[in-house]
Amino acid sequence: MKTLIVGLGNPILGDDGVGWKVAEEVRRQLPAEAPVDVTCLSLGGLGLMEHLIGYQRVILVDSFVMGANDELGSILILKLSELPNYSAFHTTSSHDTSLQNAIELGRAMGAQLPDEVEVVGIATERIHEFSDTLSSPVADAVPFAARIVLDLLAQVPKHKKEYQMQE
Amino acid sequence: MTQRISIDPITRLEGHGKIEIFLDEQGNVANSYFQIPELRGFERFVVGRPIEEMPLITNRICGVCPEAHHMAASKAADMAYQVDPPRTAKLLRELLYMAFYCTDHTTHFYALGGPDFVMGPDAPVAERNILGVIHKVGLEIGSKVIQMRKYGHATVEIIGGRKVHPCASIPGGMTKGITEEQRTEIEAMGRWAIEFAQFSLKLFNDIVLGNKAYVDLILGDVYTHRTYSMGLVDANNKTNFYDGQVRVVDPNGKEFIKYAPKDYAEHIAEHVEPWTYLKFPYLKKVGWKGFTDGEDSGVYTATPLSRLNSSDGMATLLAQEQYERFYATLGGKPIHQRLATHWARLIELLYAAERWVELVTDPEITSPDVHAKSTHIPTEGVGIVEAPRGTLTHHYWTDERGLVTKANLIVGTTNNYAPIQMSTNKAARSLIKGGVVNEGLLNMVEMAFRAYDPCFGCATHSLPGQMPLEVTIWAADGNPLEVLKRP
Repeated sequence: MKTLIVGLGNPILGDDGVGWKVAEEVRRQLPAEAPVDVTCLSLGGLGLMEHLIGYQRVILVDSFVMGANDELGSILILKLSELPNYSAFHTTSSHDTSLQNAIELGRAMGAQLPDEVEVVGIATERIHEFSDTLSSPVADAVPFAARIVLDLLAQVPKHKKEYQMQE
Repeated sequence: MTQRISIDPITRLEGHGKIEIFLDEQGNVANSYFQIPELRGFERFVVGRPIEEMPLITNRICGVCPEAHHMAASKAADMAYQVDPPRTAKLLRELLYMAFYCTDHTTHFYALGGPDFVMGPDAPVAERNILGVIHKVGLEIGSKVIQMRKYGHATVEIIGGRKVHPCASIPGGMTKGITEEQRTEIEAMGRWAIEFAQFSLKLFNDIVLGNKAYVDLILGDVYTHRTYSMGLVDANNKTNFYDGQVRVVDPNGKEFIKYAPKDYAEHIAEHVEPWTYLKFPYLKKVGWKGFTDGEDSGVYTATPLSRLNSSDGMATLLAQEQYERFYATLGGKPIHQRLATHWARLIELLYAAERWVELVTDPEITSPDVHAKSTHIPTEGVGIVEAPRGTLTHHYWTDERGLVTKANLIVGTTNNYAPIQMSTNKAARSLIKGGVVNEGLLNMVEMAFRAYDPCFGCATHSLPGQMPLEVTIWAADGNPLEVLKRP
């Protein structure tokens, strides 16, 4: 199975860069012969979809802004289909469509795209200030998130589950 | 579980656009405010870093138009190092930039602007997107859009060294040239882009201009504002995206000023409002007179429409024909009906595609002479390009080691913040009456700002992309009457 790991985010926007750090850590730990590609992107919607073409399995690693009950650096594992599809309600973006719509579009055009996209999210807070370093709890989550991605790779994709980082 | 994700980075939600609409006692609009969040610290982030890194760092500001930042920063660094890149380097930069323009304008028209016209402003929200367009007009449209984007990305990658976030443009030129084999490949893609642009204009002609209701909508007063128009022009006053002088025409179409990039601060100032973080640029010599139209107001626009208004034409044959048809159809120059921006964008798409082929067939395009070394100590530099959504200015100051001591950026959308505020306000006032608000009306209000192709992610120095919207309508008694969320 051709698999792609995508670290998403902006590497110079504080904690938003955590996806890149996790992907880089995964790349370091992956055995050289593993049939897995690892990439880092600052894209969404159509641009992101175009990078997923040709893969049977995709795991996205990205930051998410935590809710009131989340802890900074906590890790969430879910499927793209479980995330709200914003563009289903409206063309919320001025330049793009949602990743879900982009994938549907790609499929309609005959592109080979994964049936499901897995998502590993890391709870972040400081994503509104330019910086190339992560907050301490978010940086601490990087090896855990990388471990989760490597564990997911070792499994057949399963339905949603949630992992809360142990203190 | 998913409800707790208030901002979802997978869909690149970097902040919430917010419109606050205040109603009076009769339920009519008293005022409205288009607010956006701020991202902080970009100027601080770049201080102390070498100016030659700016083309790489600034293209990370934004995932929507990194190529524009790459070019503006490179040009600013050229000036700071007092180096004039070889002709081939300039050709390559502009060629890369045309491929990017074709990708960007295509995406905006088919994913955002197009749905309102192809599906209709009152179509159900779930259909008013690119998927709806494809279902209505046919699958081949989607294939062409994807193909155009693919060719755009491929050309950017060949010349720029990387897809989306190119890295080949440096102070003094380019790090590498292209081979004859690559040139041939890029030319074939450019020729396809011309056909695609013509196809898009025909689609616009058939679906929009062929429909009287849409033409009336475009020409209606709701979406009209008489402001100054800004755009970069070449030595013949023809529209140019990569280089030239900034020309501003007044609301009657008469040249008001034309300035070299380095002089921008003499002509542009920024107004601050207490209700938003983003500043409102205006023409210094006219002055800030509030959110108002006319010759006495320093408000200007920097959009595809304003670029056409501020130039004497397009420098390529087919685009020039379309330019003439545009003004003949809409009743003379300049045009102030904001929805015409969608048409202007397609004319620019055609120009970019034609220019793409012009550049790639230049006899010097494969020359290996792509870089000029500088022996000067950098001091200060300004670089201006036309980003798809407006004039983009980068300004850096350095110390004697070439480390940035200060930076100032005026990004595309920022130029248009005042007009966008005016347009949404006017649309809200015109459409919301007696407290009646429905989905169709709301979309008509949103169409007012969508024409500008706003990118507030970039405008706030943030990542780009999805711009979720929250509209709060306040009754005269100070209580929220209705909150409509676009999560």
